[in-house]
Amino acid sequence: MHRGLVVTAMLALAAGAAWGQSPPASEQAEQVKALLERVEQLEKRVAELEARPAAPSVTTAAVTAPSAAPNPEVQQEAAKTEPSHQMEGHMDQAAVRQMEPHYPNLQIRGFADMDFSATDQKGTTSGFNLGQLDLHLASALSPKISYFGEMTFNAHPTNYTVEVERSIIRYDYNDYFKISFGRYHTPIGYWNTAFHHGAWLETSIDRPEIVKVGGTFTPIHFVGFLAEGNIPSGGAGLGYSVGVGNGRGDTISRPGDAGDNNNNRAWVANVFARPVKLYGLQIGASVYRDKITFADGRNFREWITSAHLAWTRGDPEFLAEFSNVNHRQYFTNVSTNNPGFYVQMGYRLPWFEKTLKPYYRFEYLHTPQNEAVFTNLDLVESIFGLRYDISSYAAFKTEYRHASRLPGTPTINGLFLQTSFTF
Amino acid sequence: MSPTMKMTYKRLAAILWTACLMCTLVSWRAEGQTSRGTDIAVVVNPDTPVSDLSLADVRKVLLGERQYWNSKLPVVLLIRAPVARERDVVLKVIYQMSEDQFKQYWVAKIFRAEAATPPKIVYSNDMQYELVTAMPGAIAFVDARNVRPGLKVLRVDGHLPGEANYPLR
Repeated sequence: MHRGLVVTAMLALAAGAAWGQSPPASEQAEQVKALLERVEQLEKRVAELEARPAAPSVTTAAVTAPSAAPNPEVQQEAAKTEPSHQMEGHMDQAAVRQMEPHYPNLQIRGFADMDFSATDQKGTTSGFNLGQLDLHLASALSPKISYFGEMTFNAHPTNYTVEVERSIIRYDYNDYFKISFGRYHTPIGYWNTAFHHGAWLETSIDRPEIVKVGGTFTPIHFVGFLAEGNIPSGGAGLGYSVGVGNGRGDTISRPGDAGDNNNNRAWVANVFARPVKLYGLQIGASVYRDKITFADGRNFREWITSAHLAWTRGDPEFLAEFSNVNHRQYFTNVSTNNPGFYVQMGYRLPWFEKTLKPYYRFEYLHTPQNEAVFTNLDLVESIFGLRYDISSYAAFKTEYRHASRLPGTPTINGLFLQTSFTF
Repeated sequence: MSPTMKMTYKRLAAILWTACLMCTLVSWRAEGQTSRGTDIAVVVNPDTPVSDLSLADVRKVLLGERQYWNSKLPVVLLIRAPVARERDVVLKVIYQMSEDQFKQYWVAKIFRAEAATPPKIVYSNDMQYELVTAMPGAIAFVDARNVRPGLKVLRVDGHLPGEANYPLR
């Protein structure tokens, strides 16, 4: 723990030094603003000169053509500036041609993080670890067809593994119907589709336990097809996604990438609302059904029900998600309920250009003793953290966690640090 | 249900209730407006089949929640580069985000596979004008004094730039 505190202090000093070295942003902004104003004036002048020979008709009555003052001085100036104006016109046309859509237009973005952890749990060691290196690919293949891919590189004690996290091809008919095929983040609840592997995107260092990468509680990935879109609903801002896929594989934390292990398809449905009058709010509910088949021949029906509420504007930020996973064994008919939820609150402080965001998360997860699919996942945890956005695309995060697992076992306290970024 | 679980659920209910209350209070705050200046016109390619949008509809378009004017015509978003007043107004009144939040919003949007491309950044009114006239489905935001012939100006909440109660200024 002491070592952890020393590292925190070093990071804080480094951040402070970096801050001190940054150029005065307000001065630069003023200069750019002045230049832009100058450009605006010149453009206006050019527009006046252009409008002089003949003003074409206007498409909307409210639009008035710029007045063309018959001023001999202006005429002379126009004659003088014509060559440079022609050159500007050519440059603009070239820029326009460059910005017109070309297909395919592959864009690559990466996410990465570096972590430090120190806990008082017996048998663990403190130290640094390399988080995920995540590459995200997006490419429009035509105005209505897009491809999205995501790959991660993960550090393990003896090697690195490469994982295809998502690979999706999507066909848009319109805003109300888009159909896609591939490997997804299962649209259950909020967090799993909102943040997933990009640690920089999420306020906290890690994901909540109910949607933990490599965890078993929620099936994180889904292989199949998905229909999604908006629902015409006026101010309610409703949207949906409905999918059919392979469901959990032999290892229940993984989807059946190479094929399903039974003849029963899993399905998922998610409905959410983003009310127009409460801009920033999202509320939603999801259901997921699957049949789980183990190698020893045991079969379980799985029902997951989930609800979420998210206020994402940052001042404050509020995320809450509740899930219940129900398992019923086919042979014995024994049914178990596994509830889990988290509530996270954060507030972007008004000082230091809103770069600091303290946050708190409470997590709860319970598995009953007769649960046969999950091993025990019991958890009650509180997380206090601070996020500092050192730039638009990089952040430092510090967390103190206080967690208890099984009754009678000691509580675990830990200090966690992370720098995460996108590039 | 054990007393501990009951207590936990009660705590959850209390937290959710407080959060709902906070959300409601925050939404009642007056929407962000820039210091009073000239109106910012919403202009589209003349072939775009809209002439009147509510501010909420404009927000949906800018947030990438509405990506099609109709099933044959995708929306092409054009936004001025940082420091331009048009951008300030769009960020403050419509997005209600800071410059950083806006950038992060679009990184996240594409990461979630909800959009394939971010808005196109334009550096001058000339460039904006050329693009809107050349690209079907294009929508841009222009200082109302600089609107040129050949563009279709949209009513926002039933008002044109220059009229009282026009929301983009």
